[in-house]
Amino acid sequence: VKKFAVGSALLALCLSFAMPLRAAQPNPKAAPQAAPIPAGENDKTLLAMRDELERSRTRLQLPGVDKPFYIEYRLLDVDVRSVTASFGALLASDTARSRFMSVDVRVGDDHLDSSNFVSEDGFRGFLGSTGQVGIDRDYNSLRQDLWLATDQAYKAAVTQMSLKQAFLRSLTKAPEIDDFSQTPPIIKVDPRIEPDWTSRNWDNEARGASAVLKNFEKIDGTRVNYYLIYVTSYLMTSEGTTIRTSRSVAAVEAALDTHAEDGMALHNYYAAYGAKPADLPDAATVGKSLAQAGTQLMELRSSPLVPDFTGPVLFDAPAAASVLAQVLPPSLSGARPPLSMAPAFDQMMERMGANSEWTGRVGARVFPTSITLVDDPSSKDFQGRPLLGSYDVDDEGVRGERVTVVDHGILKDLLMSRRPGPDFEPSNGHGRAGDLSDTKPLSSNLLFQSSDPLKPDELKKKFLDACRDDGHPWCLEVKEMDNPALSSVEQEDFSDFIGGVAGGIAGGMRVPLLTYRVYVADGREELVRGGIIQGLTLRSLRNIPAVGGDASVFTYMQNSAGGFAGTALGAFGSTQGGIPSTVIAPSMLFDEVEVRGFHGEPRRLPLVPAPPLK
Amino acid sequence: MLGAAWAALAANRSPLPSGPGETILSAMQTELDRSMTALSKGDPPVYFISYTLADRQYSSVSGSNGALLSSSDDRGRWLEVQTRAGSNELDNTHKLADRQPSWTSPGTSTALDDDIPTLRREIWRETDRQYRASAEALIKVKTSQQVQVQTAEGAAPDFSSEAPRTYVGPRVDIHVDRKPWEERVRRYTAAFSKSPAVLNSIATFSALGMNQYQVTSEGTKLGFGQVHYRLELYVQSKAPDGMDINRFANFDWLDPKDAPEDKVVLARVQTMIQETEGLDKAPLIDPYAGPALLTGRASAVFFHEVFGHRAEGFRQKDINEGQTFTSKVGEQILPDFLSIKDDPTQAALGGQMLLGNYAYDDEGVAAESVALVDHGVLKTFLMGRSPLVSIPHSNGHGRRQLGYVPVARQGNLIVSSSKTMTNAQLRQKLIELTKEQGKAFGLLIDDIAGGFTFTGRGNPQAFQVLPLVVYKVFADGRPDELVRGVDIVGTPLVSLTKIVATGDTPDVFNGYCGAESGSVPVSAVAPAILISEMEVQKKETSTDRPPILPPPGHDPETKGAAQ
Repeated sequence: VKKFAVGSALLALCLSFAMPLRAAQPNPKAAPQAAPIPAGENDKTLLAMRDELERSRTRLQLPGVDKPFYIEYRLLDVDVRSVTASFGALLASDTARSRFMSVDVRVGDDHLDSSNFVSEDGFRGFLGSTGQVGIDRDYNSLRQDLWLATDQAYKAAVTQMSLKQAFLRSLTKAPEIDDFSQTPPIIKVDPRIEPDWTSRNWDNEARGASAVLKNFEKIDGTRVNYYLIYVTSYLMTSEGTTIRTSRSVAAVEAALDTHAEDGMALHNYYAAYGAKPADLPDAATVGKSLAQAGTQLMELRSSPLVPDFTGPVLFDAPAAASVLAQVLPPSLSGARPPLSMAPAFDQMMERMGANSEWTGRVGARVFPTSITLVDDPSSKDFQGRPLLGSYDVDDEGVRGERVTVVDHGILKDLLMSRRPGPDFEPSNGHGRAGDLSDTKPLSSNLLFQSSDPLKPDELKKKFLDACRDDGHPWCLEVKEMDNPALSSVEQEDFSDFIGGVAGGIAGGMRVPLLTYRVYVADGREELVRGGIIQGLTLRSLRNIPAVGGDASVFTYMQNSAGGFAGTALGAFGSTQGGIPSTVIAPSMLFDEVEVRGFHGEPRRLPLVPAPPLK
Repeated sequence: MLGAAWAALAANRSPLPSGPGETILSAMQTELDRSMTALSKGDPPVYFISYTLADRQYSSVSGSNGALLSSSDDRGRWLEVQTRAGSNELDNTHKLADRQPSWTSPGTSTALDDDIPTLRREIWRETDRQYRASAEALIKVKTSQQVQVQTAEGAAPDFSSEAPRTYVGPRVDIHVDRKPWEERVRRYTAAFSKSPAVLNSIATFSALGMNQYQVTSEGTKLGFGQVHYRLELYVQSKAPDGMDINRFANFDWLDPKDAPEDKVVLARVQTMIQETEGLDKAPLIDPYAGPALLTGRASAVFFHEVFGHRAEGFRQKDINEGQTFTSKVGEQILPDFLSIKDDPTQAALGGQMLLGNYAYDDEGVAAESVALVDHGVLKTFLMGRSPLVSIPHSNGHGRRQLGYVPVARQGNLIVSSSKTMTNAQLRQKLIELTKEQGKAFGLLIDDIAGGFTFTGRGNPQAFQVLPLVVYKVFADGRPDELVRGVDIVGTPLVSLTKIVATGDTPDVFNGYCGAESGSVPVSAVAPAILISEMEVQKKETSTDRPPILPPPGHDPETKGAAQ
């Protein structure tokens, strides 16, 4: 039944609006209570959630089986406007309104509950505990949907619990870490923000901006996508948390592709993000940026192939930020992985590079002593630039805290959701999810800073000196890393890319977009193509020789599909389904990076010349 | 398989002058000529190219449990490019026994605006992508040729040559006011919610207006439009033992003025509620073998599943298929009073529209009425452009859902009989047979859901159709008793030969059939049939029990729960 499959177009966001938090009495050990709703609040969604949650909390029980000890209702109320254009022509223009729910029920207790367990079989219900619900914001239909979903979630929890207990009995040593950490309930009912996208003609902006690319006859294909999204998210739990927050995000994401004279496929992308539609650049500005991306792509077409290379590589700030977004996520999470009796699950996680290098290393030096790494969902901007990763409370209803993960090179803390780990237990408000999927500890606004930064010319000099000392006539400077979720014109190209890197991503395979050869003799820069970075892992950052004093705010959408979130692949997302996040990073110099030139067979050239664009 | 799905086609033509369609067709033709000139000299050479552009307007309004679920208008253009490398005898699509050729989706979305340079660029780009995939696939085909097991039909060419067709009809448009339908789907699903037995209900209205343009390197040039409106009702329930109970109803029409009246739909809602509540309480059937009477609608689905799918030509050349009928052309496979044709050219029957109606198939071939069975003797198969040794040409049944590669599919499968009796006589005959066989009761099967047809060789040659509404008809004249959990078992050839009589009124089932080339609109038309022996078993019950708590709107412990 299609009704109960969360649509892929569902976009989950995490922006924030400055609203004071009103913490209820922190009394987590008390018996669960009905979720309070502020007096005078007549939102039927909240009322239906409260009434069905209360009925389930007090009466839902199978004979001879535990009652639920935790019930959680999540609901997203989503309005999406999306427009796609290519070379000045509209490909799609849609407006969609939808609502989705997800119900979580746990049996057991904080120490051992029905969650955190992956098994090959389990409860197969007729409807499931997630799905699309009515968009009327009415009371009756939502109660009906929540009733069935709660019933399904409870039965699934009971089944899962017995499977888990049987599995635990088969282990020689059961894990001692709790399944669920305590947190004070929060009541926060913000005003609902209604969508407004009438102020600009988005169809014409998409047409106008994309028309600029008609000047590039050698571009094979392009897509210019506009997304304007409003989401009101609801969270209600049997612990007394009641949250309603409204958020929005707006984006322009464009992909351009071509091929070199030898057949090599090449691409480029452009992305601009804002907290609301009005924040997006106008069509002329977008057009200018697209023209720049087109020019870069044309340069790339005629650039030489890079040979195999091992030596110093300088990453400009935007590239460094992307590298951090790829190498850090698995290790930032302090939550323990779920117990799994499915070997395929473990293998998949390992292949995606989901294993932490920092577990059990708190107190150890992980970066040069000049480096501090902070994740801060509470900061709204950086040097006047808005940070789209901010939020007040996370997707588990926990206030987002500023976490100093690495202090002067020493690992101090980790990002926590309500799933405890071997090093830390309580949540620090980093449980994030896209599309109502499982929450995971994910970064929000990640700030990587040095107390001993180099000025741009100092950094460049250090880079060239290192290059010369290593005996090279030139070394490589990466100005931008690829994000195939944005640079692929066709979904199939993205799938191909993921298939291509999947085997190497855990070993540190990284794909640059714009790489320059910088000559020691005169500092001359030359764009090269075809290089793939090998072996660039978190450990490579432990002794990086130098970082710059510049700082780039790199906004990206963490991909939450396919289990990508929290892995290196999570960096490859788009507004469609992605979780807004930022990395603030300076330029970074690595003294030894392996770059492999292109060794494959380039694809065959088109036999038919492209038809004119004008 | 017959089932419910998203969209549909049905021819609706009346003359109109050329419009944007001609501009699009000429741009497609320009690119086709350029591509054919260059790619026919390529290595490997391309011998056939087709471009299809589907311009689709789709409105849909869906409601559930008394509230609106979604309401949207969707407009899109989908471009499909087919490049065939090699020759008609052996090309890149040749099915390999050992492995599947790597699959490239045959299309991309393209410009909604009539922007010719952009359209041409998209066609060029997609052609290049498809040609590269075809060239690679052909190499794989050629390298595995030597080691491949050859079947008789494996010697058939990969692609038929067909005479070019030219037809450019008027462009169709739909103008849908979704507001009244939003109210209607709320009302219908709210009516369902009055019954505590209905756990979940969905009502979906959809309107499709599609203009399809096609040019091929053989000289075919087509442009035609189709319009279709549909209302679907669906409810879910659970019997006390956890068995899933589903009821489904649909209304189809071509002209907005023929939309079903509110009272007609609400009456159907009431019937569905009664059936649901009746099934919830009905006893489970015990394993049984004996006579069975299928009403027209159930019989239509039965023929679609059991006969129709096995008459699809492409299955006869695939080594992985069961090939039930492959060697049976010219043989008696049914009682001699039965004949079956598939006729997509028929738009209606007895005042009811036929959903499988179309003028040209998705490979640009004109639809033909195909006499599949004549007085019990199998004559031929439904053919797309994948020929058999004995059947070198298509008969206009190559069909697909957008985004899939066409294969031979059913259109309007029509069963006729020369041995008919009234439905009352047929029922009397059922009772007689029951007595003859010394059984206490016979079965009356009133509704069948399209199940999954196992035509693959790995599966037993059995079929699974799911009877939804089944009655015991007692030999001693007691009132009929509704039973549930009935699963038909048996082999298709045997069950087809055991038909002993038919009714005199054909019944129409309109639905969506999902198979290798996606979901396509089809009709099945048949009279009621009496089968001398049918074997049924008890359907496996779900482990998911009914909900623990009563529905919130019907909870005696909470007064005024509904708001």
